[in-house]
Amino acid sequence: MITIRGFLAMTRAEFRLFRREPFSIVFVLVFPLMMMLLLSAVLGNDQADAQDVANGMLVWRGVTPASYYAAASVAVIIAALGLMTLPTNLAGYRERGILRRLRASSVSVWVLVSAQLTLAMVTFVAGALIMGLVASLAYDTLVPKDLIGVMVAFVFGTAAFGALGLLLASVVRTSRSAQGIGLLLFLTMWLISGTAPPRAMLPSGLRDLGGVLPLTPLVTAVQDPWFGLGWSTTSLAILTAYTFAAGIPALWLFGRD
Amino acid sequence: MLGLGVNSEGWFMAPVITVEHLQKSYGHMVAVEDLSFEVEEGEIFGILGPNGAGKTTTVECVQGLRRADNGRIRVLGLDPTTEVAELRQRIGAQLQDSALPGRLKVAESLELFAAFARNRVDSDQLLTRWKLQEQRDQAFDTLSGGQRQRLFLALAFVNSPELVFLDELTQGLDPQARRATWDLIREIRRDGTTVVLVTHFMDEAEQLCDRVAVVDDGRVIAIDTPQGLIDGLGLSSVVRFTTSEPDLGWLEKLDVVESLTRNGETIEVRGTGPVLALVASELVAHGIAPLDLRIDRPTVEDAFLVLTGRRMRG
Ligand SMILES: Nc1ncnc2c1ncn2[C@@H]1O[C@H](COP(=O)(O)OP(=O)(O)O)[C@@H](O)[C@H]1O
Ligand SMILES: [Mg+2]
Repeated sequence: MITIRGFLAMTRAEFRLFRREPFSIVFVLVFPLMMMLLLSAVLGNDQADAQDVANGMLVWRGVTPASYYAAASVAVIIAALGLMTLPTNLAGYRERGILRRLRASSVSVWVLVSAQLTLAMVTFVAGALIMGLVASLAYDTLVPKDLIGVMVAFVFGTAAFGALGLLLASVVRTSRSAQGIGLLLFLTMWLISGTAPPRAMLPSGLRDLGGVLPLTPLVTAVQDPWFGLGWSTTSLAILTAYTFAAGIPALWLFGRD
Repeated sequence: MLGLGVNSEGWFMAPVITVEHLQKSYGHMVAVEDLSFEVEEGEIFGILGPNGAGKTTTVECVQGLRRADNGRIRVLGLDPTTEVAELRQRIGAQLQDSALPGRLKVAESLELFAAFARNRVDSDQLLTRWKLQEQRDQAFDTLSGGQRQRLFLALAFVNSPELVFLDELTQGLDPQARRATWDLIREIRRDGTTVVLVTHFMDEAEQLCDRVAVVDDGRVIAIDTPQGLIDGLGLSSVVRFTTSEPDLGWLEKLDVVESLTRNGETIEVRGTGPVLALVASELVAHGIAPLDLRIDRPTVEDAFLVLTGRRMRG
C-alpha cells in the first residue's frame, strides 16, 4: 500500500521536476531526430540497389535510408536515455545526498529508480512518436509492419539500457563523471552500431566491435519486425544477457551505502 | 544501573537505544573505535565531540544507514540492520549532509515524504510549526540555510516519530535562529519524543541536553548531565571584582576558596561550591561592596578541555 502510494508520489515529483527543467532532455530527443533527418537527407531516399549489397548484406536492409534511420533512431533514444539521462540523474541524487535523505525516510532507492524509469519511458514514447511523425511526414517512411514485435524490442532494450545506466550510476562518484562517461559510451555505440553509417559500410573490425555492443542488437531487434523481417530472437537474447550482466551487479552496487 | 529505568506507571522499561562496543572503519580509517551508550525514553541525549570524532558515523549506524563492523545496537527494540524498514517508520532523521532536488518545492517535499509514512502528520501543521508557511511554494535551491534546516526538521517529523536524530541541528544558523530552534526542540520533547542531538557546539549541548556523551576519537570519554560533567571534574569557578583594599588574606581563609590572584585592583578568586555567596558575604562583612562582582562558572567546554587535554576544534 505504502509502496504504491510512495511510487505514485515519487513519480509525480519526478514529473514536476522534469517539467521545471525540460531542457535537460533536449539532447536525448533532439540528437536522434536531427541525425535521422541529416542522414536521410545526405544519403538520399532511394530504394537500395542490388549493387549496394556488401558482404552479403543489404546496406539499407532492403528499405529506404529514411525508413532505415527512422527505425534505428528510435532505438538511439533508448540508448541515450539509458546511458546519459538515467545515470546522470541518479549519480547526482547520490552525490548531493538526496539518496541518503530519501533512504532515511523509508524511501527505498528502488522507488526512485522506478520513478526515473517511468519518466524515461514516457519521454521515450513521446520521442518515438515525434520521430515517427516527422519521418513519415518528411520522407514517407515505413510504418512498423509488426508493431507488437517492435514494442517487444523496446521493452528488451529498455531493460538492457536501464540496467547499464544503473550500473554506470553505481560506479561513478559524481553526476559529471556519469555524464562524461555516458556521453562517451553513447557516441561510441552510436557510431559503430549501424545507427550512423550502416553496418555494411563499416570496416570489418569496427563492425565486429559494434556487434558485441548492446546498441547493435537493439537496432536489429527494432528494425526486423519494423521492416517485416520477423523477430530477431538472437538480438533479444543478447539484450537479455546485457540486462542480467549489468543489472545484477547494479542491483547490488546501487543499493549499498 | 543495568539499563533499566522505571516509567511513570512503574513498569520497568528497556532503554530506547542501546549501543554496545560499536566499531566502524572506512577502509583503514577507524571512525568509531569502541563506543557504548544508552538513551532513555523522553530525554534529549547529546552526542558531543569535535569534528571527525565519529558522531555522524555512530548515529548513522544506529539509524541503519550504515552497517556497523562490530558491536550490538538496539533501537526501540529493533535491530537496525535486519529490521530497518520497521525502524525507519518509527524514527525521524535530520542528516548532517543531505539535500533535496533543487527544484522541488517545500510543500511538495513534505507531501512526497509523507507518502511513505505509516503515521503521517498533516503538512500544514508541520509548515506552521517550523515556520515555513511563507516558503511553501519556494524551491529547495532558493531557500536560505536556516529555511533548509527548518525544512529538514519538518521532514524529520513527517512520520510522527517516537525518536528523532538531529545531526548538527543548528549548523549555519544565526544566533537568533539557533535559540528559536532550541525552543522548538524543547517543545518536541515535551510532546514525548526522545531526541538524540549530535553536535560539536558545547553551548548547544549545555543548553539543550539532559545527558551528554562526550565523544573523542571514536570513543565515549564521559557520559553525564552537563552539570554533572562539570561537577564530577571538580572544576572551579572564578569570582572577579575590583577593590583598592590591599589586604584580602581573610578571603583566602574561606574553605571554598582555592586561590586568589591580584592584578592591580582586579581580583580573581578561584573556588568550588557556593563560592560566590560566601565571598560576597565576607566582602560585605568587611565593608567592601564591589559594583562589578561577578562569577564565571565552568562550562562544558572547560570539562572537555580537562577530559581530552585539548580544546575543541572547529
Ligand atoms: N564515507 C566516509 N568515507 C571515509 N571516511 C569517512 C566517511 N565518513 C566519515 N569518514 C571519516 O570518519 C571520521 C569520523 O567522521 P564522522 O563520523 O563524520 O565524525 P563527526 O560527525 O564526529 O564529525 C572522520 O575522520 C571522517 O573523515
Ligand atoms: Mg558529523
